[in-house]
Amino acid sequence: MRANITRLDLRLRRRSTAGYAIGMALYSLIIVALYPSFKNSASLDSLSGSTAAALFGVTGKLTSPGGWLNGNIYGNFFPLIMLLLTIGYGAAALAGQDEDGTLALIAALPVRRRAMVFQKAWAMAAQALFLAAAVTVCVVIGRGFQLAVGVGDAVAISVALMLMGLDFGLITMAIGAVTGRRGTALGVASGLAAASYLLSSLASTISAIRPGRYLSLFYWSVGNDQIIQGVSLGDFTVLIVVGLCALAASVAAFRKADLN
Amino acid sequence: MTSAVETFGLTKRYGSVTAVSDLNLRIEPGQVFGLLGPNGAGKSTTIRMLLALQRPTEGRVSVLGLDAHADTVAVHRRIGYLPGDLELFPRLTGREHISWFARSRGLDDHSLAGHLVDRFQVVTDRPVRELSKGNRQKIGLVLAFMHRPELLVLDEPTSGLDPLMQREFENLLQETAGEGRTVFLSSHELDEVQRSAHRVGIIREGRLVAEDTVAGLRRAAPRKMEILFRRPVDQAELCSLRGVTVTAADGPRVTLDVTGEIGPVLRVIASHDPVDLTSRPADLDELFLGFYRQPPAKKVPNAG
Repeated sequence: MRANITRLDLRLRRRSTAGYAIGMALYSLIIVALYPSFKNSASLDSLSGSTAAALFGVTGKLTSPGGWLNGNIYGNFFPLIMLLLTIGYGAAALAGQDEDGTLALIAALPVRRRAMVFQKAWAMAAQALFLAAAVTVCVVIGRGFQLAVGVGDAVAISVALMLMGLDFGLITMAIGAVTGRRGTALGVASGLAAASYLLSSLASTISAIRPGRYLSLFYWSVGNDQIIQGVSLGDFTVLIVVGLCALAASVAAFRKADLN
Repeated sequence: MTSAVETFGLTKRYGSVTAVSDLNLRIEPGQVFGLLGPNGAGKSTTIRMLLALQRPTEGRVSVLGLDAHADTVAVHRRIGYLPGDLELFPRLTGREHISWFARSRGLDDHSLAGHLVDRFQVVTDRPVRELSKGNRQKIGLVLAFMHRPELLVLDEPTSGLDPLMQREFENLLQETAGEGRTVFLSSHELDEVQRSAHRVGIIREGRLVAEDTVAGLRRAAPRKMEILFRRPVDQAELCSLRGVTVTAADGPRVTLDVTGEIGPVLRVIASHDPVDLTSRPADLDELFLGFYRQPPAKKVPNAG
């Protein structure tokens, strides 16, 4: 493949990718470094189990290593930043560049539409991987701050969250390919992600929405106590299948899209 | 001989709006073809369909003997494209653009790109967002020409270029055609097309209203003729002649628009004892403005 669109898009977004990763890494380092000061705080544990806590992605005992990481990183900030990155890029990759007028130059090169989508998906994966790696390294550093967390578990949950980010990013890309509008793609995908988050986090305390949690990608990545139980093969399967479906939808829509 | 570009009943509709309607064009290799029309006439839409950026609602496009939509990759390999309202990546420099696009086309030999950069005095070391419209347009021209494509599709190529660069660009077009390569360009300016194109198509509201050589169009353009007779004349006889319209009559002074041959008109005039006659050459501008204004019913016969 000669037209290296992956490399181009990574070059165009290198500042924002670095910004997200550095910001999230610093935040994660602070969180793990603070753990020793909070691990014996009984008042913190009384927070858990309330609907308010669930709203912020907090489940389980906050003072346990898993609860601390879940309540401060994996249950909220990390997925939020991951989604900002993947949804942002997903909206820009096709619809955004088409609205900017730059996509036509690339689409006029000897490259198939399908290959364009694949290369952009790789660019998204590379950005998400960079962010996930930064967080994982910082969490593993946390083992030096009395955070007893397995390296394998930390990697697994980071990978699960990265896959969830890619799922939403690819859904965004597909919406962009269908509508040709960056704003629509951003809006609809952000709405879906927010609904997915609420569905998963509130399902632990509100029984009425409990059956709906299976519809939430958060449930399949971090919402089902994966930090304690580990990420199951079933979780990974759901996350990967959803991503592949969104990718296929992006390809199908983009092959038919009228570009500017 | 395989035509460089041929469209068959090409039509594009967006909902109820018809952007291009039943367009039939044939452009021979080695020609510079100018598609002329007012803003919003369907020029860019036509070009986007040639490049398979947009799908025709009806009809099809053949480019360099291949189906533009079925053989996109093979076609794109042999085309250079300059979009209208060119947008580049603001943070990248001209050099970064050129090297990325060259690599994407598998172009190892950058000598032509270097030559074009020198020839058009392209600024290559500053981010594109810091460049003027004209300087960005020049980068776009380098990207379109640097792989020596067989067909160039250029949407309003001279927009933003200063007159000196426009002249240089026209030279480049002539050289390109001289090498047997084909140029398809669009413009809303008659002057530009008149100077550089061999053939011209005029598009209005998505329809091709004329297609001819510049000389052929000039032949079809009306000449204004003013005659002073010794005494008032009956206009009926003049009006009955083919290609003659009486635009003004004031006693013995008559003004005519004449298209086509002048002999029959002169014979009738001579028989009415004329005192004076002035004739102005065909006004191409007037012809184009006429096409722009008129409903597309009137079609200039194809002069071949």
